[in-house]
Amino acid sequence: MMSGSRLATIARKEVRHIFRDWQTLVVVLVMPVMMMFLYGYALNADAKEIPVMIEMPSPAPETRQVADKIDASSLFSVRGTVPTASDPRELFRLHGIKALFRFPSGFARDVRRPGGARVQVLVDGSDPNLGTIIRNAAEPMLLGATLEVLGVEQPKVLDLRTLILYNPEQRSALFFVPGLMAVILLMISALLTSVAIAREKELGTMGQLLVSPLRPLEIIVGKIIPYLFLAAVDGFLILAVGRVAFGVRIAGNPWFLGACSLAYIFTALSIGLLISTLAKRQQHAMFMALGATMMPTVLLSGFIFPVASMPLPLRILSHIIPATYFLEIVRGIILKGVGLKELWTPLIVLMGEGLLLMGIAIRKFKVKL
Amino acid sequence: MESIVSIRSLAKDHAGEKALRGISLEVPDPCLFGLIGADGAGKSTLMNILATLSDPDSGEVRMLGLDLRKGFPRIRDDIGYMPQRFSLYQDLSVLENLDFFADIFGIRGKAKAERMDHLLEFAGLAPFKGRRAGLLSGGMKQKLALACTLIHHPKLLLLDEPTVGVDPVARRDFWTMLKSLRAQGISLIVSTPYMDEAALCDSLALLHQGAVIAGGSPAEMLAAYPYRLYRVEAAPDARISTLNYPGDKPPPPGFELIYPSGGSLHAAEKPGQAGDPLGRLRLAVPEAASATMLEPALEDCFFALLSGKTANAAGGA
Repeated sequence: MMSGSRLATIARKEVRHIFRDWQTLVVVLVMPVMMMFLYGYALNADAKEIPVMIEMPSPAPETRQVADKIDASSLFSVRGTVPTASDPRELFRLHGIKALFRFPSGFARDVRRPGGARVQVLVDGSDPNLGTIIRNAAEPMLLGATLEVLGVEQPKVLDLRTLILYNPEQRSALFFVPGLMAVILLMISALLTSVAIAREKELGTMGQLLVSPLRPLEIIVGKIIPYLFLAAVDGFLILAVGRVAFGVRIAGNPWFLGACSLAYIFTALSIGLLISTLAKRQQHAMFMALGATMMPTVLLSGFIFPVASMPLPLRILSHIIPATYFLEIVRGIILKGVGLKELWTPLIVLMGEGLLLMGIAIRKFKVKL
Repeated sequence: MESIVSIRSLAKDHAGEKALRGISLEVPDPCLFGLIGADGAGKSTLMNILATLSDPDSGEVRMLGLDLRKGFPRIRDDIGYMPQRFSLYQDLSVLENLDFFADIFGIRGKAKAERMDHLLEFAGLAPFKGRRAGLLSGGMKQKLALACTLIHHPKLLLLDEPTVGVDPVARRDFWTMLKSLRAQGISLIVSTPYMDEAALCDSLALLHQGAVIAGGSPAEMLAAYPYRLYRVEAAPDARISTLNYPGDKPPPPGFELIYPSGGSLHAAEKPGQAGDPLGRLRLAVPEAASATMLEPALEDCFFALLSGKTANAAGGA
């Protein structure tokens, strides 16, 4: 039988540990805020003033005008013009440019001919993201600039109007707030519980607890409760910083978001417990918890890379980890404002995983050493 | 009188090796029982089994009138176990540690306050009750750990190397506490690698490579010592006054055993030797200036036992 007072005893002791170890407490509370700002500013995908050069063997007025249009765009900044480049790589090395636009000598003449002019764009592919941005931007920009120089109005063939739903301004804050919720809640919960139990083993106090009248379930639940609160505080911090610093508003019901987060935290705590049944030392527990939570969540949950574009084995993995489902729920609530009716499937999977893992952890929790 | 612990042919493998090979022991009630042995002799393995934290591979253990395998939840109510390392919460104060153990054993209210006051007094920790356990001296930590294991009035205490790493004065204090618990009728099983602590026990078992190679009260063990013991010293004005004897060198003629002890050598002479012992000793130890007859201490008994010679001599006699 579970005894409430013994449960409270364990929980109270754990709270004392948490407050005595104030360095860890500070890390736990400051880290989410720090990660928010890091992601908020580092994940900014808007490229600006990319350094480029232009190769122009015969500077005709038309060629110059197109080159000026390139410079005038906010995406590119022309660092110089060369007549001919015998070794284009040299230019990339010396001037640190990311792209080289090579106009042929007969550019002014060719653009007026039926076959059109050929312009070569050399792109630095060492940064794939930047390379893609340059590639995608170069053609429409050159085409537009050339037509303008020739005084030709673009023929209207297709009028494409894209309307972006849920995140119309494509702000990255809306993308990383749910992602960070998934990463940080999982990491804090799994890491702290597994370390807390491994610490008892390392110190040898687990032996004394087991010899006492405490039941394993009392030890487990008593230890979990304080971390549940701590993780909830972190979740609240992330949402608060998202709101104040990045203007992310919760479109859906915040209470429903809170309830789903608790379900997720419960699953994360179960992972932590499972790890602690395997780890004998705090350090083992820490590495196992980081390995089991941080990497899969960042890489496989769909936080950064879309699940649909993963190869099959990774897609299967991604459908195993709880973060994938939580991310779906959080994005649904924060961005789309949907509720239980739309999100019951991932929620049930999430809770099912939590119960399963908790069951295994309790079974594996040894009554003996 | 029924034994409080009764062990028959207990065996246990640990990490692929035979940690205990068929141990049998009787611990009378009450008793201050000493488990003596070097590191790796199997003391902690045995302690863990008695503390109900690890299962034996074979053999029978009855404790407090119950079978260990079936009765371990009830046995746990009546034992106090102090693991080998300092096993309390370093970041909690003396009082908080005691309070925690009182709570998990369900001691509350007035009984708890009284019990805690009594134990703080008993352990001499009353002036330090607000201090964090991690900031206590080694000796005080062990006293606190002992106080915590006593919180629920156990009938049997299991203390695994409680005085390792503790300074000699604190060790003496600690043993005074153990003696007083024994006087109150509590049984204790204490493991220790220190021979001098063995003399303070009512009864002993000497563990070696997972087997009990000798047992009995200290007086019985001393009485069973089969050799004539000499202390061999160098001349007081000799250049090197400390004598040493390599462990792999055979003993001098007529002697069974010779080993350093506190700057001099202890030499155990086989029974029935004639002639001048100093002369024979000098053949192997030229610097020896005197050989004085000596009453053996428990340490000498253990050396004799561990060299495996006593068993043979007793068998031959």
